[in-house]
Amino acid sequence: MAEALSAIHVTKSFPGVKALEDVSLELHAGEVHALIGENGAGKSTLISILAGATRPDSGEVKVAGHAVAFDSPGTARRHGISTIFQELSLQPWLDVASNIVLSNEPSLKGARQLLSRRQAEHVAQLALDRLGARDFSARTLVANLTSAQRQLVEIARALAFGAPVIIMDEPTSSLPSRDASRLLEIVRQLRDEGTAILYVSHRLDEVKTIADRVTILRDGRNVRTELIDNLTTGQMIESMTGRRVDHLFPERSSHVGEVVFRAKNLTKKGAFHDVSFEVRSGEILGFAGLIGAGRSEVMRAIFGADRFDSGHIELDGKTISVHSPREAIAAGISYLPEDRKEQGLVLDLSSRENMVMAALPRFSALGLVRGRQVRSVTAAMGRKLGVKGDLNRPSLTLSGGNQQKVVIGKGLISHARLLIFDEPTRGIDVGAKYEIYALIHELAAQGVAIILVSSDLPEIMNVPHRVIVMSDGGMHGEFVHPELSEEAILSAAFSAFTREQGAA
Amino acid sequence: MTPPKSPSQISVVNRLQQLDLRQVGLPLVVILMIVFFTFKSDVFMTPGNFQNVGLQAAAIACVAFGQTFVILTAGLDLSVGATVALVSVVSAMVMNDRGPFVGIVVGLLAGVAVGLVNGLVITRLRVAPFIATLAMLSIVSGVALNLSGGTPVVGLPKSFTSLAYSRLLGIPVPLVLAIAVLILAYAVLRFTRLGRYIYSTGGNSQAARLSGINVRSTQLAAYIICAALAAIGGLILTARVASGQPTLGSDLALTSVAAVVLGGVSLFGGRGSVLGVAVGVVFVTVLANGLNLLGVSSYTQMMVIGVAMILAIAADEFISRKSRTRQNPS
Repeated sequence: MAEALSAIHVTKSFPGVKALEDVSLELHAGEVHALIGENGAGKSTLISILAGATRPDSGEVKVAGHAVAFDSPGTARRHGISTIFQELSLQPWLDVASNIVLSNEPSLKGARQLLSRRQAEHVAQLALDRLGARDFSARTLVANLTSAQRQLVEIARALAFGAPVIIMDEPTSSLPSRDASRLLEIVRQLRDEGTAILYVSHRLDEVKTIADRVTILRDGRNVRTELIDNLTTGQMIESMTGRRVDHLFPERSSHVGEVVFRAKNLTKKGAFHDVSFEVRSGEILGFAGLIGAGRSEVMRAIFGADRFDSGHIELDGKTISVHSPREAIAAGISYLPEDRKEQGLVLDLSSRENMVMAALPRFSALGLVRGRQVRSVTAAMGRKLGVKGDLNRPSLTLSGGNQQKVVIGKGLISHARLLIFDEPTRGIDVGAKYEIYALIHELAAQGVAIILVSSDLPEIMNVPHRVIVMSDGGMHGEFVHPELSEEAILSAAFSAFTREQGAA
Repeated sequence: MTPPKSPSQISVVNRLQQLDLRQVGLPLVVILMIVFFTFKSDVFMTPGNFQNVGLQAAAIACVAFGQTFVILTAGLDLSVGATVALVSVVSAMVMNDRGPFVGIVVGLLAGVAVGLVNGLVITRLRVAPFIATLAMLSIVSGVALNLSGGTPVVGLPKSFTSLAYSRLLGIPVPLVLAIAVLILAYAVLRFTRLGRYIYSTGGNSQAARLSGINVRSTQLAAYIICAALAAIGGLILTARVASGQPTLGSDLALTSVAAVVLGGVSLFGGRGSVLGVAVGVVFVTVLANGLNLLGVSSYTQMMVIGVAMILAIAADEFISRKSRTRQNPS
């Protein structure tokens, strides 16, 4: 098979870290090559080098067998390499069509500098049609799209570019399952047309179904490259983590105590209606549902980040009213948002500062922060949570899993009675997932009431004691372990829609 | 569940969303202002005053249109006023020596040079635009004062100074010039590759880089365009005052940023239109002119403009927050 893109003996260090050491990877035309590894294994650095965004310290990159030196992502694109970055890289104030053709704009005949709007919309619409994206158009402003829709635009951009090499970094991480399976179909089509695809994903089941070959990175080294059929999922996990993983989920603790938190008939027009539930001390309550079912909206309302129209909430039997996250934290409710980078952490601040951010009044006197107390408390918390990395350095320098631990630490330090986890393991690798589940269980065992919002089916099946399923803003089923089943959860998640279609 | 919208429905909704209060608000205020001044002052609605406003607006417009390019890339140029002064002095001196044409060309080149230095300092030395152009304001003013010895350069050729008061198709030449600049700026921002890259650089520079756009040369181009347009403004002002003034346009940094921001361009870059800026320029000049006619002192006018800026930005924030919550309940 023809070699489309390869990295040869690539090494790259960042201050304090060796991100890649002597890594080689060959990507062939007409194959889907999966790249997997834990966070911090060096996947992002390797992609970044192949995409021209980072220069290697040594080693070289070859396109179709010829050595090239990428000095910018633009150069890589001109060599036919299109990259779908995980950090969505769209222009919010341009419309969908302009984004899809960005830096590759069709121009008017005879005037290279002048743009052809009609041609741009045409190209964009073709790509969108191919992806089956029908709920927005080429003229929609990207700022008005949901994150799943933006992901589709990002993919459409790679399609429209028609590159012989496409690098996809977690392309399905924020897509609802219908779109995800459609994407996998397209990836197959592209492969059959001869496109070389480097596919980075944490979803091993997905890797198993889509990839031809897989390269596994661990600690900056290429552990193995194999035909996918020669590896079981278990072997992949072992290669990634370097240890045997027998259990993917820790045991549930059995001690569930008094009701800590109760929500009664929460309603917010256009978002959710009549949501009532309670969570007990030591209990993990799961919230399942499709993306956009209103789960995060409910949680944000409980946390005081958004208002609700009617209903009330109780903590330890007393009705409370929270008008802001500040009041919620003071009352003992912590929310660990889905988007930890945008909502959970100030990435430029040190992890230490992030951890105490929500509890500063306790750590200060006369407006001055007690540095020593902060250091001892955060150091203890860091040890407890097993944060790997320097707490004194910006949270930006930590891997996703460790950032999530800092967010959890922030919730714990603020003495939460109710902790709400919103998609705590999205984009986190298998090994770190286990640690986070273990932490959640440990917190529950200490008597904290926990709400776990998750779209990850295995997670929602195996972590909580009880699961509430939301669909289109309403509660559509409640299941108690061990009566949890995938079918029941899924059919409840879709129930609001099937009913409506039945009536229409 | 909302039924899936058809593309045509979406584009109608979209257009309604894009036609938000921000784009209707300022023109409305301008019209109200004109009505108010017409009733309050006998002179306001006269051809003579119209020409006066047009002349004032022309120079500010050129500078503000240039400023728009820079602000769209999420930058800022505080040195535009100093550029105007330098262009004024240089073009006047050369003109007295070599005639109007050479004077104009050299004046424009002086402006471009300032833009080039601004752009290089910002993109190569990585100095923040605010600091870089603030420093350049000081440097360029110093150069202008040194060259002129601190005194106005007088005795400019009649053929040049008369341009300020001559007409083309009944419209004052400076205004014609400003309108031409507006059309050109609009076309560049809307229909060319460079325009798209300017919006992208300001909208999300990291994304622009990853898309293969050369962000630094886009920024460089924006600063050069800004200074070149400021130079045109400088020439207009020079012709009007019929001399090379080393202190000309000292308030233009504020005025141009005011017009741009009032015109709905985001200081964070990436959004806004030069047409809005044109309305912003009209607002600023009509306000100044009307207040003048009502006998309000220029000191008080400064206060009024400052207050108007704060109100406009506060209103902008308010409206965009409203529309965000409307579109996106989460």
